[in-house]
Amino acid sequence: MFLALKEIKHEKLRYGLIILMIFLISYLIFMLSSLAVGLASENTQAIDSWSAKKIVLNKNSNISLSQSILTKKDLKDDDIGKNEAYIGQVAVVVKSKNRPSVSAQFLGIKKDQFIYKDQVLVAGKRGKGKTEITVDSSLRDKGYRLGDKISLNGSARKYKIVGFVNNAKINIAPIIYGSFATWRKLRMVAPNVAAAAIVSKNANYKYNYKDAKTYPIATFINKLPGYTAQNMTFGLMIGFLFVISLIIIAVFLYILTMQKMHNLAVMRAQGIPSKTLVGATVSQSIILVVVGVIIALILMWVTAAVLPAAVPMSFTTTIMIAGTLGMLVMGIIGSLIPIRSILKVDPAKAIGE
Amino acid sequence: MAVIELKDVEKIYGKGDAQVEALKDINFEADKSELVLIMGPSGAGKSTFLTIAGSLQKPTSGQVIINREDISKFSDKKRNSLRLNEIGFILQAYNLVPYLTVHDQFVLVDKVKKEDNLSKEDLDKLLEDLGITKLVKKYPNELSGGQQQRVAIARALYANPAILLADEPTASLDTQNVEEVGKLFKKLAKEREKAILIVTHDPRLEKYADHIYEMMDGKMSQKK
Ligand SMILES: Nc1ncnc2c1ncn2[C@@H]1O[C@H](COP(=O)(O)OP(=O)(O)OP(=O)(O)O)[C@@H](O)[C@H]1O
Ligand SMILES: [Mg+2]
Repeated sequence: MFLALKEIKHEKLRYGLIILMIFLISYLIFMLSSLAVGLASENTQAIDSWSAKKIVLNKNSNISLSQSILTKKDLKDDDIGKNEAYIGQVAVVVKSKNRPSVSAQFLGIKKDQFIYKDQVLVAGKRGKGKTEITVDSSLRDKGYRLGDKISLNGSARKYKIVGFVNNAKINIAPIIYGSFATWRKLRMVAPNVAAAAIVSKNANYKYNYKDAKTYPIATFINKLPGYTAQNMTFGLMIGFLFVISLIIIAVFLYILTMQKMHNLAVMRAQGIPSKTLVGATVSQSIILVVVGVIIALILMWVTAAVLPAAVPMSFTTTIMIAGTLGMLVMGIIGSLIPIRSILKVDPAKAIGE
Repeated sequence: MAVIELKDVEKIYGKGDAQVEALKDINFEADKSELVLIMGPSGAGKSTFLTIAGSLQKPTSGQVIINREDISKFSDKKRNSLRLNEIGFILQAYNLVPYLTVHDQFVLVDKVKKEDNLSKEDLDKLLEDLGITKLVKKYPNELSGGQQQRVAIARALYANPAILLADEPTASLDTQNVEEVGKLFKKLAKEREKAILIVTHDPRLEKYADHIYEMMDGKMSQKK
């Protein structure tokens, strides 16, 4: 630690530059991770808030809610208890005077089933009848208010916002909760259609009959349009950033070590144990990473404070801790490469050159 | 009683045709309070002799006895601690850690060797003797060659070694400084009872030496 700190203090510019790079990379890692988690959660928020474990869809729907239709015949024998709920889904455009248009997902739900009952209202009340709806609270950020009358897909009939709900997003779109009758009308389904899907909180729920088939919720989420591709892209970018930081730390420390080879030989000749010299390099690497990451965390904190709520980022402690640990691991691995050279220093080289 | 003794030491570099016999049948000893010069032309084996006497490398054959212990079979770790405790090196250049102030050069020794270093008073006196008391806050690159040399001497003495080894310590000094360093070494040998071995081309140091050895093609002969 002594040598490590003294050297950093004496070579402020060199070490300052490497800290700058580590800071920039960790900031980028934190931002991308927050964005990845934020976007992922906007895909699955509603599903998570329902604590859904299983979903029953039409087996020919390619596990897609928007393609799924279950007829009364398919659902002839279904067993709907307090853990199950019908849903009917259709993509809609929300319009209202003096408000921006919003693309949303309309979900028809039934009043006696858990999704309706479990709505987490942040304002207003649950909808009753055919024309009352509750909507995701993100619409409030866009200027919508309780009592607003809106049209769905240009419908002549107006629907009235009576409540705002938290965590009501699916596939990055806000949810409009309304009645099944409205769903039938918007989706223009045949009279024999009962629902688009059944959602269950029971992990052991199973209903396979005719075209109805039960899927684990994870299977359904991974099939959400763009979900898997998006997560893989983010994963790859974040992974690359870790690798880049590893390379930067390793190369930097290696070059520095090479430059002071003669000096290391002299210290070894003077009897300074190699573990002291190795310790200095490892602690330097840790100091660089810790300082860089702390600056990045401070900037993240500022970023989180000034960023508008509409940006889909979630700044979770888990991300910050995981990112910090990841960078530390990279720093330690990065310092292993110069260590090999330090251990091989020949003290006899200190003399006669 | 000899502090350092080499018996029938040979050192061969390389293998086969590229083989160089750098040291041949060396027998040497130095006692405490003795100042010994090792002289000779380039390539004679002086530096090789110094690295082996200083336990920086092992001889190909023969014995190196320091404080009555044969160190030629010591592990790397034991040789390392022997160097830390018993041997002080004064090298031609770069012998100070560039990113440590003069003061911190001594702190570094304290960090790795907890006992038996010079006391605060002894160090102050030594710095005074060397005329470098005012330089303790400076970095090596802020010092002149002669000042660096004297700091290196203080650094080597700080761990209180029995033996001091110097490689061309006067190479970058003018005549006046050479005389000063010669006197200083003589004084250190007598007052601090060190055995001091100096490898040098510099005939100006001869008058301070108790013994002078001449090296030629790996062989050593005593001149004084
Ligand atoms: N590491 C090494 N590998 C191979 N040969 C070496 C090595 N070190 C020294 N030699 C050879 O051993 C011989 C003695 O070298 P040494 O460095 O001891 O000479 P020197 O007396 O110190 O010379 P100088 O006055 O030029 O410093 C030379 O022939 C040299 O080429
Ligand atoms: Mg030499």
